[in-house]
Amino acid sequence: MAGGQERILRRRIKSVRATRKITKAMELIAASQISRSQARIVANRPYRNGMKRIIVEAAKGDPAAAKKLLATPEKVDTALVLVITGDRGLSGAYNSSVLRAGERLVTSLRAEGTRVRLFAVGKKAAAFYRFRGMEIEESFVGIADRPTFADARVVASTIAAPFIDGEAEQVLLVSTRFVSAGSQVVEVEQLLPLSVPEVVVDDTPKALKGYTEFEPEVEQLLSFLAPRALESEIFTALLEGAASFHTSQQRAMAAATENADELGQTLSRIMNRARQDSITTEIMEIVGGAEALRSGK
Amino acid sequence: MTSLKVEIVTPESALWVGEAQALIARSSDGGFTILPQHTETVGDIVPGIVRVETSEGEVSFAVHGGYFQVGPGEDEGVTLATVLAGVAEKTTEIDVPRALAAKERAETALAAQTRGEPEENPAHPWAQAALERAELRLRAAGK
Repeated sequence: MAGGQERILRRRIKSVRATRKITKAMELIAASQISRSQARIVANRPYRNGMKRIIVEAAKGDPAAAKKLLATPEKVDTALVLVITGDRGLSGAYNSSVLRAGERLVTSLRAEGTRVRLFAVGKKAAAFYRFRGMEIEESFVGIADRPTFADARVVASTIAAPFIDGEAEQVLLVSTRFVSAGSQVVEVEQLLPLSVPEVVVDDTPKALKGYTEFEPEVEQLLSFLAPRALESEIFTALLEGAASFHTSQQRAMAAATENADELGQTLSRIMNRARQDSITTEIMEIVGGAEALRSGK
Repeated sequence: MTSLKVEIVTPESALWVGEAQALIARSSDGGFTILPQHTETVGDIVPGIVRVETSEGEVSFAVHGGYFQVGPGEDEGVTLATVLAGVAEKTTEIDVPRALAAKERAETALAAQTRGEPEENPAHPWAQAALERAELRLRAAGK
């Protein structure tokens, strides 16, 4: 009886140890990916900043044209929502917090009477939204872990098409921003029309310094520039999403490894006690038997 | 003392950053040269070769379309010229065999398209763009 319990415990310890090996390996892999994905965010920064500067300059050069292209429409009939999640699970709250933020956004948009078309990066979104009766128009799978600029272009052209054709008035992005290694925040951002809040802020001091030359004309430039800026924004969001995913996974797997350690310890303690019990019982039986034999002589 | 700082950046990385004497490229309005003290300018760059003249000689890049901005840099007297390109590479780092192979592939696809055999050779929608990219790379690499 006692031996059976011991065997069961031994099997459980073995399984916990095996799981621990997996979570530990995943933790290490995620940790190595963090620094790589962080480096990619840093490498992307000059391009993103440059793109922002150009848009700001161009918008200042021709505010009228900029307003047409960049201003938020007053009435939004149809909005596109792009949700960026990961392809894999086992990453703590990374996927679920983005998905839930997306769900909240869609619900509130629908409450205002806006038609919503959903797009998603990552495998995890489709199942989640289908279950809740929100159909995803297109999922981009296999790019969330190591996004390239070419991937960002594909996503950008797909979601920009309805906007350019006038089928949608607004494109929103739900993604995780990588603030620092210790903090990642889910944010909702407007992708299209492009948001250029800086224009208003630093318009006055710079306007005095002279004018900026444009070649070709600003209006034409802005219309070419907008899709490039969209690509850049999406690429940055993908990079930050990937970095957040790896950070989140590393943290989750570190916690899982710790739990496995603890569970293994507890189980082996119980097992040792069970073994000790059975040994004690056995000795008692032997001693009792010997005693009985002697007294029987 | 006036100087010119040039940045050639792509989304994946900053390709080249440094002091230069001049930046030479083409926009859709025609060729242009940026020297120190150039007025603030924003414009596009058509696919072609972008040259940067430095005190140690010339560095050139194959830029597959992009934008540039000239403005005052952070320090006094420094003019900052930024070239933003979705895809760009240093001419010395171009993979010539790969570009040749890409050119051949694109040409085959285009030829099949003009012969009107879309059944066997589905026309690649990017073939024309791929061909232009490959040709630019080869021209930039001097082959």
